Amino acid sequence: MELGDALVQLGKFIGAGLAMGIGAIGPGVGEGNIGAKAMEAMARQPELIGTLTTRMLLAMAVTESTGLYSLVIAFMILLVG
Amino acid sequence: MKIQLTKFDKILLGFIVAGYLAILVYIFATGYHFPKLGDDVGQRWIYQLPFGNSLLSRVNPMTIFMSWAIMIGLITFAASIKVFTVIPGKKQSLIEMLLDYLLGLTKDAVQKEEFVRPTFNIAATLFLFIFIANVISGIPGIQAVPRNGGVVFTIFEDTWYTPTSDLNTNATFAVMVLIISHAFAIKAKGFGKWLKGFFEPFPIMFPMNLIGELAKPVSHSLRLFGNIMGGGLLVLIISYLTKYFLMPTFLWGFFGIFVGSIQALVFTILAIAYIGSVIE
Repeated sequence: MELGDALVQLGKFIGAGLAMGIGAIGPGVGEGNIGAKAMEAMARQPELIGTLTTRMLLAMAVTESTGLYSLVIAFMILLVG
Repeated sequence: MKIQLTKFDKILLGFIVAGYLAILVYIFATGYHFPKLGDDVGQRWIYQLPFGNSLLSRVNPMTIFMSWAIMIGLITFAASIKVFTVIPGKKQSLIEMLLDYLLGLTKDAVQKEEFVRPTFNIAATLFLFIFIANVISGIPGIQAVPRNGGVVFTIFEDTWYTPTSDLNTNATFAVMVLIISHAFAIKAKGFGKWLKGFFEPFPIMFPMNLIGELAKPVSHSLRLFGNIMGGGLLVLIISYLTKYFLMPTFLWGFFGIFVGSIQALVFTILAIAYIGSVIE
């Protein structure tokens, strides 16, 4: 393998790793917040557990999407082109 | 500890070991080529129409086939419960519960009474299509993969091809929701008031409001695409770690059925919320 190709590979792997690693911080913090607040609400009003669980999953799915953008970007760096 | 095996257990274990040995012998004897990661990941069967050479003359045949298949399936299902009875059957109560839930969501988000019904129609249509499309991506079926310059149809090797794992489908839905919401807004508030809405609170905020509106379909479509496509790629990568010795049934179930149904609901709720927020 030429040095140039090797450098391109190096850049690809480091870039994909950084994109996924840094991009996972935000959704992680956000989902933690959602889970914590939902737990508090459930402890305060246990009769609403069914509704709160559905809403919690929905909010998590919305929060998760930024992490999925970085996943798509990482795959594109690794596999496309 | 002494392990006790009945005769049936021994026969069963013997069959399993013999099966694994047969697979190993087959692999080493014939030099079977494992699908390498990256060979067909993210590749699609794209057909070039005979006229022109531009981007517009390329189609994605599997997306079209599967979209029509899902639509025909939904229409057949709808036609099979044409008569609604007072005492509901199994199918009818399922449909009634689902549509009642969606109608409740629409009534919460859309304040104007005359726009509840059209919004509900759009939202329910979107939900049914996307839900079926996402759930079949958790069930093994027919998939078309471009390989060695041609197209190979694989049956039960992978899940069904999903139209929602193609960004074209999702972007179409998201742009459709954007256009419909603004058409409703013009109808509800009048053209002048709708145009004035872009210049609030100050006229200098116009570019911000415009970009905010145009960014809606981007995030709306990419969310669904990223979930379905990223889930599929993750399943491929994790099953590649076991060299395809195990069917990733659990992963298909999680990414296809669980995440897929939640994302279908999220797409629908966001569509309702976008329409509801614009026509106020």
